[in-house]
Amino acid sequence: MTRLPVPGSLRLRFLLAICIWVVLGVSAIWFSAVGIFSAHVEQSYHEELEVHVRELARLAEFDEDGRIALTRPLSDPRYEVPLSGFYWQISADDRDPLRSRSMTRGSLDERVAHSPEILHTRDGGPTGPAITYGFTQAAPDGEEVHFVIATDQSELDRLIGGFTRDLTVWLAGLGSLLLATGLAIIGFGLHPLDRLAKATARLRRGEAAELEGQYPAEIGPLVSDLNAYVHQNAEMIARARVQAGNLAHSLRTPLAIITDEAERLAQEPNCSPAAAVLLEQGKAMEQQISYQLARARSSSGKPYAARTVRLPDVAVPIVRAMERLHPEKNFSLVLDNCDQVTLPIDAVDYSELLSILLDNAGKWARNEVELAFVRDSGGAVIARISDDGPGMTKEQLGDAFLLGSRFDTTKPGAGLGLAIAREIADAMGAELEILNGKTGLIATIIFRGEGETAIA
Amino acid sequence: MRLLLVEDDVELGRRLSERLRRADFAVELAVNRSAAEDWPDVDRMTAIILDLGLPDGDGLDLLKHWRDARVETPILILTARGSWQDKVEGLNAGADDFVVKPVRFEELLARLNALFRRQQGSRSSVIEKGNLRLDTLARTAELADKPLSLSRQEFRLLHLFLRRAGQVMSQTDILDDLYELDSEREPNTVEVLVGRLRRKIGRERIVTLRGMGYRFET
Repeated sequence: MTRLPVPGSLRLRFLLAICIWVVLGVSAIWFSAVGIFSAHVEQSYHEELEVHVRELARLAEFDEDGRIALTRPLSDPRYEVPLSGFYWQISADDRDPLRSRSMTRGSLDERVAHSPEILHTRDGGPTGPAITYGFTQAAPDGEEVHFVIATDQSELDRLIGGFTRDLTVWLAGLGSLLLATGLAIIGFGLHPLDRLAKATARLRRGEAAELEGQYPAEIGPLVSDLNAYVHQNAEMIARARVQAGNLAHSLRTPLAIITDEAERLAQEPNCSPAAAVLLEQGKAMEQQISYQLARARSSSGKPYAARTVRLPDVAVPIVRAMERLHPEKNFSLVLDNCDQVTLPIDAVDYSELLSILLDNAGKWARNEVELAFVRDSGGAVIARISDDGPGMTKEQLGDAFLLGSRFDTTKPGAGLGLAIAREIADAMGAELEILNGKTGLIATIIFRGEGETAIA
Repeated sequence: MRLLLVEDDVELGRRLSERLRRADFAVELAVNRSAAEDWPDVDRMTAIILDLGLPDGDGLDLLKHWRDARVETPILILTARGSWQDKVEGLNAGADDFVVKPVRFEELLARLNALFRRQQGSRSSVIEKGNLRLDTLARTAELADKPLSLSRQEFRLLHLFLRRAGQVMSQTDILDDLYELDSEREPNTVEVLVGRLRRKIGRERIVTLRGMGYRFET
């Protein structure tokens, strides 16, 4: 596919360089060729006229009455055609000048013929500017006779003009061919960079773990370095995830002991205020651990570390788990036309997002929870989690994504779910919204993914 | 009701065991995977509380091992791993509930009771058989709408009879449910307890089947 050059691109630079080179080269050829041809034509033309004027002198003779006549017409027939642009004239003092048949009007200036040497000049002729050749020769009676040959300048101009036109057309063709060749060379030369751009896009979308493909020696090392960096970065992120998880796990067990101790203290009359503080702070610590751990997971789950996710592979295990977690509720999964859809996102992040919303729906639903996937006309994949619970008030909807928002403290949880869900959705570039449906709450995750969703 | 608590943190294990015992559970503590895996009567436990991060193996593998071995005992995962990926894996591997540390003991107890209710196919914490009424959450018992004064062991025994009403239970079954393995078991403990309970709820309620055990008449 031919790509249009964009400002600042190598393609544009090469194209401009080639354009300048071709224009300069073709122009130089044009000027040189026109100059050489013109000089050559002019020289030939002048030589021909010189021959004509000599022939004129050779054919001229004086009759017995002293009148000038030609023994035969000039060999070039154009001197016989009226106003053909080819004229001759023979004149002598006190005699009527003899003129070619072509010269039905006007006369030639005989001043150019003022010496036995053939001279030429540009002068006015019967039909416009003319190149005039002339010389003098003595008649048998010693009288000086002026022989003048004139040809319209337009004849020479026509010759040169014709050549120049043909040359221009030919050179324009050559220039176009050279430009086309240049474009092809640019395309061929920059093709590895195009492949690199595509490989980078695949890497960015999470469809590849590194820059794939073989590259020329000039950019091969760069690609290798980039791949090394990508791997190093992925390892670092994975390590950071594990370390964040380990830190959270290592804190939770001591925190469980502190919570237990605080609960015991709460039963002692003298210690209950202190126990309440400990329990409150322990809860705040747990909230922070859960929230920050979820953030660490989601913010590190950028597409370059991700793989594509096939929707049923993610959704089915979650729905099955929810059925165990909320056995008194009915969970249904509707894949519609999305059973083959893959998303270029991190499976763990997407699972976390769906799980939070499904668990939330499971806690609040009276009987039914539905997870439905649809693809809209723009290619966006929409996950809709709906329940038949009480829904939320306007105020609750406004605060739903705030950290620690709990609307029913009798249900298990820390009020983190929706705040974490929002973080994850933002990190993966998805839109998350919740609103009241006819019978309960509807949470919607819209993944547009820059048109990157695909049907496997 | 006898629980198996699989927890590698000694202090947390001790504390949880203590509180669960106070809540009338007989608690067996396993501090690593191999101890839990080798437990002789894991299928006779009322429930298992399982930590996932064990020093000698993954608790999730242990859970799969039990389920593969057709151990049907309800399992509650109590772990420091809080991600939904872990929860989904745990639940799909056969866990019945998943609780992330730290957890308030009341919540843990409520989740355990929910597990028991689910196992019995009941949504309520109250078990009623005739004019006998037992509230497992409030830990109260009533006979003909009058409160019954029961000792801890009597309450546990009545709870066991009501859970398995109509089934024959041997003395060993009853001992296993009421006492931990390493506790001292007097041979006539069950007889004494059953005798006391009969006096409080009526002799006809508990039938002795010679050579077999006892049965609660529904």
